Amino acid sequence: MSGNFAGTSLPPSAAAPYMGETYYGRPAVKASPFDWKVSSYIFVGGLAGSAQILATLGDLAGGPQAGGMTRTGRWIAVGGSAVGGVLLIADLHTPDRWYNMLRIYRSTSPMSIGTYILSGFAGFSAIALGADLLGMKRVAKAAQVPAAVAGAGMSVYTAALLSATSTPLWAAEPRLLGVRFAASSMAAAASALSVVEQAGQRQDTARTLDRVALAACAVEMAAGLQADRAYRRKGVADALEKPELRALDKVGALAMGAAIPILCHGLNQVVRKPSRTLSVLGSLAALAGGLALRHAILKGGNESAGIPENYFRLTRPEPPDRQPPRVASTGERERIAHHGERPYTPAATRVATSLER
Amino acid sequence: MGVPARALDYADSFLPGVIPQEAELTAGVRIEPGKSYGFFTDTTLCIGCKACEVACKEWNALPADDLGLKGTSYDNTGSLSANTWRHVAFVEKISGDEGTRVTEMQPFQSNWLMMSDVCKHCHNAPCLEACPTGALFRTEFDTVVVQPDICNGCGYCVPACPFGVVDLSPDDGKAHKCTLCYDRLKGGLEPACAKSCPTDSIQFGEVPDLVERAKARVVDLHAKGARNAYLYGAPDTPGATGGLGHLNAFFLLTDRPEVYNLPTAPTRAANRVEPALTAGLVTMAGLALTAAAVFALAKAGPTGPGRNGEIR
Ligand code: SF4
Repeated sequence: MSGNFAGTSLPPSAAAPYMGETYYGRPAVKASPFDWKVSSYIFVGGLAGSAQILATLGDLAGGPQAGGMTRTGRWIAVGGSAVGGVLLIADLHTPDRWYNMLRIYRSTSPMSIGTYILSGFAGFSAIALGADLLGMKRVAKAAQVPAAVAGAGMSVYTAALLSATSTPLWAAEPRLLGVRFAASSMAAAASALSVVEQAGQRQDTARTLDRVALAACAVEMAAGLQADRAYRRKGVADALEKPELRALDKVGALAMGAAIPILCHGLNQVVRKPSRTLSVLGSLAALAGGLALRHAILKGGNESAGIPENYFRLTRPEPPDRQPPRVASTGERERIAHHGERPYTPAATRVATSLER
Repeated sequence: MGVPARALDYADSFLPGVIPQEAELTAGVRIEPGKSYGFFTDTTLCIGCKACEVACKEWNALPADDLGLKGTSYDNTGSLSANTWRHVAFVEKISGDEGTRVTEMQPFQSNWLMMSDVCKHCHNAPCLEACPTGALFRTEFDTVVVQPDICNGCGYCVPACPFGVVDLSPDDGKAHKCTLCYDRLKGGLEPACAKSCPTDSIQFGEVPDLVERAKARVVDLHAKGARNAYLYGAPDTPGATGGLGHLNAFFLLTDRPEVYNLPTAPTRAANRVEPALTAGLVTMAGLALTAAAVFALAKAGPTGPGRNGEIR
């Protein structure tokens, strides 16, 4: 363990495996001041970004029957970037200085990267929609490509925004968070467009979109399950174990966001006559699930920042063989306790216990 | 360090003004732009008097936080915050298994560990790297400072800091933290906390000098039998990990870092930008290709390849 710190000899107390020591259980890092406005933005921004991608792909590859969907996608992109911008400015604690975001560009800050992704996305999306409405087809075609590229950024940069922090739940798995946000954004966009197509009696396009949603939800499900395991293994899952967050994460993100849409759209793929109800049900579930995922991750992260054990487990030195650090999880600590080897408890707790006796 | 002879020029009770380069007299160091300044906080010398907390509040005109009792130790400050830029931690050693107070006094550090915590002025500071407005910047003294006239209160520096230092003030909606007394440094004065520390637990100086001094102190303590002493945040020590580089404000500790509420191997938050973005964009590319294929198949129509193709 001390091999990591060439030049110093770590005393045994500092090199020993982490056994849950804290400073009176007080938080070791500060939680972000982000609230529902930011998680809603992450959802809306991803939805808008991916809707622009689908609109563009529909325009380029979908033929005439995709025309309505392309128009709807362009509307969602413009509406989403407007709502997103308002949500972000409302979340500032000195909102009248929002334009200071444009003073500099900083490549180490996803907040700064995102400012320019959102600005570019909003600009090109507005041009694409405006030109489309005015009948300037060529301008729309030219503007939609950069808009779609920025849309990919919109769908995923928020994963970097959360990961590039010291918040245990967000910092633990940057890659998986990126995959989950990407897949969930695409699923939400395909679902929103599918619902509109269903309402417009264009079942063929709705069906095509449901297939896209099906693929996205499958990716989301796989990444979500893997993230669940990884959070446990790294000892940062405590916040997500709290009852209301557990419901949001399991029932909301996993069941509604992935399992139900997969079932509904999957069934519709194999039966001879696809059901509209199933299609709409699957789409609405995916939309609700996408919102639940962002809320669960945002709230879970803020809570995890308040649990010092989670942060300290994540910030153990990597052993020389680069295996994930061996830490005593909550369950393990209980087992150790059960077998008589006394786990560490914060001094304050111990004083309290001794006073009770 | 000896006191320079010019100290005698300022022997009067009432001085005409600020002593030029006063830090030379109080800390033995000239303060010049372009050099790297910091703190070496030797926790074995800390007596928990909180003079640093008070001096910091006084000089920076910071209001009190919550005045309640925490009920866990003599530490009722609790943590660093937007209004508290020095925080003295009190760690009471409770005897191993029974959860009772120890009855025998240790010959060294009694049964208490005290540490005056502060912003680390990280070499690669995650707060600064996260700041989208440029309100957080690196000064000519190699310290990290928030400019409150630029900060728009986005709060992204708060979760970025690996040590839970910087915070938003509910009073003005801007981020605040230790400035390493930027204004005093500009006037040639030693930072208020270091100047007020009666035991020299907080030492101010040029970082390379401080590291030398700190290393010598560890050797000295080991020779005297305190084998647990080690540095935290100096180059190649715990705390200076994960791409953070060294910490300009570093510490000498005698127990594991977590006991003082410090992570053993913190990391630079910006390390995670690239992995999250790349994984996300690769997924987007894959899904977009899938969508393009699905659209093209649908366009080919029910008589085309998509025919039985409801089950693809
Ligand atoms: S300790 Fe935190 S607030 Fe201080 S420079 Fe480092 S990241 Fe910024």
